[in-house]
Amino acid sequence: MRTLLKTLTAAAILSAFGLSADIVQAKEYILTGVKPNKLVVIDVEEMKISKVIEMKDSGTAPATIVPTKDGKRAFVMVNKMEAIVEIDLISGKELSKIQLSSDDIRVKALFGMDLSPDGSTLVTIESAVKILPGEFSPMPTRISFYDTKTGELKAQQEAPRQITLMAYSTDGSKVYGLGRALHIFDAKTGKKIGEHKTQEWGRKNFYNPDILAVWAQWENSGVLSTPYYVARSDMDLANPEAYWTGMLTLDLNTGAFNMKDIENTDIFYFSTSISPTDKNIAFGAYNQLSKMNVKTGKALKRVELPHSYYSVNLSSDGKKVFIGGAMSDIAFYDTETLKRIGTVKMPGEANMSLSSLRVFQR
Amino acid sequence: MKHLIAANAKAKQFSEAAEEGREEEVVAMTSLVGCTTSFDPGWEVDAFGGVSALCQPMEADLYGCSDPCWWPAQVPDTLNTYPDWSTKAPGAQNEWRKLQSVFPEDES
Repeated sequence: MRTLLKTLTAAAILSAFGLSADIVQAKEYILTGVKPNKLVVIDVEEMKISKVIEMKDSGTAPATIVPTKDGKRAFVMVNKMEAIVEIDLISGKELSKIQLSSDDIRVKALFGMDLSPDGSTLVTIESAVKILPGEFSPMPTRISFYDTKTGELKAQQEAPRQITLMAYSTDGSKVYGLGRALHIFDAKTGKKIGEHKTQEWGRKNFYNPDILAVWAQWENSGVLSTPYYVARSDMDLANPEAYWTGMLTLDLNTGAFNMKDIENTDIFYFSTSISPTDKNIAFGAYNQLSKMNVKTGKALKRVELPHSYYSVNLSSDGKKVFIGGAMSDIAFYDTETLKRIGTVKMPGEANMSLSSLRVFQR
Repeated sequence: MKHLIAANAKAKQFSEAAEEGREEEVVAMTSLVGCTTSFDPGWEVDAFGGVSALCQPMEADLYGCSDPCWWPAQVPDTLNTYPDWSTKAPGAQNEWRKLQSVFPEDES
């Protein structure tokens, strides 16, 4: 009774200020995709599937997914990565669609898509090919900005090739594109305004690092991260100690960029994610789940996994780390002990493949 | 051209283009046509020369590599040409037997 009274009082206070009780009772969800055409919403607290949405005519594998800040809608790359659909996450209905390809120009946007912090603009990195009667003629890679309300192209600019991830800065003024460098673009025009060197870092006694970054999983921490792998040029390459694993981090709020060696490479991580409650702590997943400190460059803890997982993300309270992608389950681990605390199987045991584990509150 | 008959898809395309005055747009290809032309190892051996750092099991990695054309030579190109190849087998670990070979359609 006392609890009920407290709840009623809180609701009355919120109501007096014109606020909805939903705000304080917001729950956290994971949003991911499974083959061939489903979006799956998972309740983080209960570690259970909350909703399954079947998309129509989406094809193959929904992998690149961007939820809106209010958690009510999501933009998903579909149709062989040639179109973006806007899905209502509550009704499951398709609200709008942006076709990237046209009759004679085939456009692919693989993993690089993000939503501006104000929700008004979608940015993509696109590979376009002109289809002629007897050949494919590659066009310049381009960065494109679409109006989320009308679907219209707002701006387009030639961009460096081989960019995989795209991320808005927290203030919405810049877009970062991670490829063979970390490129920085103006968020209105798409014009390149700077870069942080990665593959051509010119570091003494090291070769250039190798980076594979296709998983967007920074929404809770505000820090984009990815592992890098590098060999020392001053050591015999037959020596296993010549190989190093490091962490690239980019704080989307401050713009702080860092590449820090962590450990000798004896395993791989397909992707990493930064803790929302301690930005020095990162988790990496693949055939093992590891915890590391990206400030001190120390590996802290590691556990074996029963099979490969590509993607990793964390709850906003920093207590749960969840891994998914590749096969057909999302596994929850305690961030302190790295003990498994829950497993959620995807519908029909369908594969998540390359889909990120996106997180939203609603 | 009346004494020549197009014997394959490329020749047929050239004939059609010629009728439209677009024969200059039909050029000889010097490379394979697919999503890429690379043969990228991935199932065979890991970076350490062993197999423990490959995906476990291999089926876990199948679509992650085939869908973005990472292994264009080893599996069908679902990004462009055979988008429905894996539609009946969304869980490769259980349904891999439904994955079949593909053959080019006869366009001649």
